[in-house]
Amino acid sequence: MTLVSAQNITYSINENKLFHNLSFGVNAGEGLHIKGGNGSGKSTLLRIILGITTPTKGLIKRCSEDLKISYLGHKNAIKNYLTPIENLELLFNDVEIKIAYEWLYKFNLSHVQDELAASLSFGQQKKLALIRVLAQSPELIVLDEPFVGLDQTAADQLNHFLEEQLSEGVGLIFTSHINPKISCKVLDLEAKNV
Amino acid sequence: MLGWTWGLLFAPQDAVQGNSYRIIFLHVPSVIFAELVYFFMAVCALMHLVWRVKLAAYLIKSAAPIGAMITFIGLFSGSIWGIPTWGTWWQWDARITSTLILFIMYLGILTLHGSFSNLEKADRLMSILVIIGVVNIPIIKKSVDWWSTLHQPASISVSGSTSIDPSMLYPLFISVIGLGFTLISLGILSSRSYILSREKNKKWALKHV
Amino acid sequence: MFRLLKTESFKLSNKLKSWLGPLLIMVLVLIAFPLSIDISQYDLEKFYFSIIVVSLLMTSFVATEGMFEEDFEDGSLEQEFLIEKDFYKLVLSKILVYVCLIGIPIAFIGALFSFANGVAIGSFAKVFLLLILSNLLLFNLFAFGNALSINKGAMLGVLSSLPLALPVIILLGRAIRSIQFGDGFSSIIALMFGLGLILSAMMPLIISAALKTHID
Repeated sequence: MTLVSAQNITYSINENKLFHNLSFGVNAGEGLHIKGGNGSGKSTLLRIILGITTPTKGLIKRCSEDLKISYLGHKNAIKNYLTPIENLELLFNDVEIKIAYEWLYKFNLSHVQDELAASLSFGQQKKLALIRVLAQSPELIVLDEPFVGLDQTAADQLNHFLEEQLSEGVGLIFTSHINPKISCKVLDLEAKNV
Repeated sequence: MLGWTWGLLFAPQDAVQGNSYRIIFLHVPSVIFAELVYFFMAVCALMHLVWRVKLAAYLIKSAAPIGAMITFIGLFSGSIWGIPTWGTWWQWDARITSTLILFIMYLGILTLHGSFSNLEKADRLMSILVIIGVVNIPIIKKSVDWWSTLHQPASISVSGSTSIDPSMLYPLFISVIGLGFTLISLGILSSRSYILSREKNKKWALKHV
Repeated sequence: MFRLLKTESFKLSNKLKSWLGPLLIMVLVLIAFPLSIDISQYDLEKFYFSIIVVSLLMTSFVATEGMFEEDFEDGSLEQEFLIEKDFYKLVLSKILVYVCLIGIPIAFIGALFSFANGVAIGSFAKVFLLLILSNLLLFNLFAFGNALSINKGAMLGVLSSLPLALPVIILLGRAIRSIQFGDGFSSIIALMFGLGLILSAMMPLIISAALKTHID
């Protein structure tokens, strides 16, 4: 089943064309790695897929209106003046929060769960943001540079978790300038092919 | 120009106010256009938001400085006029206050557009502000009307009878029209250069540079 | 909607400086003013009200400053957009929470001080109600200014939303005169109440459009 597909996407900013006539699709249980150098429009393309940014031309189709997407961009939406636990409580209800706690344990954040998020390191904050994404039990995960800021152990862990999600039939779209170990389709914005 | 010459040099003196009233030929047209320019911008803003007409946003952007300028002239000439007639250059009176607010609104629009690097975003936000502003104008007028007012009531009404002598009325009329044409040509010039600068990457624009 | 109300009030109550700051400024201005003039020369109660009005304007401006900035900067707005598809509910609950947690206490302080400065005790409820309603109006308008300028600072906010706030101030001045001279108060309150309802329904729509433009 195709979760989301893009048809002839063109985007220009202040009259400069970023990319032209892109078409691709992502099925359930399938990964798409969007590649490209700095300023090639990776993040913008993700935001277009999410419906946050409107493309200049073209169409994004979703399999259903309430396809459950979770997203992590450059900004991690973490409130510095709250603890990790409080941050998660903002979003999850009593049942979901149990899953989130398990993720805290898996990502080795349990020991800092009651400190203010401001005192967490960059990598720890990133992990917390990833937990928010994973614990939503989404149908499609969209990640912008998920490996940046993670140490080798955490990166391997994330690889493992993402593969787990893929095998459970969750779709995955992510950008990364390094080649991850996840087996997936690659869209190279500079070469313009899938 | 003709209106100004006629008005400033040849029209008879006002019985009460003497020669100082001659500033009317600058003051009245400029405050009339201060609002007209704004309404023009509001129409453009609506067009931009509803039909996504890019040109409409360009027109707002080039009309706003002209509007601000003419509002400032209106306020300034008004306060010069105020010194000999009311004995003070500034009063917190209904119409002065609302014109001042109009001036602030023009500045707000310009500042808003100036502070975003993504020009399409800036266009849209500016249009929203312009439309909210046009709703605000009558509200401000109504609310400041509650204050006791020092300003003379409008002397020319559409319904016919005017309390102003024809020898003053005609030059006034002509100066209104004259200023109107001046502003339109200014507007055309500034929007021309603005449109060209925004569309500088397009082929057709290069031909006109 | 309930989730958002809960979230927003939790966030605001955890940001001590955002909600306590405006209250303290209000108290400070109201205390500092009588001290800075020679009280014996003037009849304080006559124009103490206008000080309350001005400090109300100031504090609600300070209170709403950065209302959307934090959520914009840290990406929460984008997340919210993915859940709700627009910002109507978010804005509505944000304004409601701000009015409840900051607006009502400010109104209470204002009413308390006006009472302490020689206004008849019977007017306390009137002043309190009046200040709450004006806060509702002002918070809506300033929220609009903030949504336009988001992270571009206070000057832009002032320029874009102060013209909108002036009619409210005039209305407030009118209402206060009617308290002092005792006529037409209920019709002004009704007018402000109506305006408050209309603004609270319309403003989130407009603000939502502005926020959408920002994250685009």
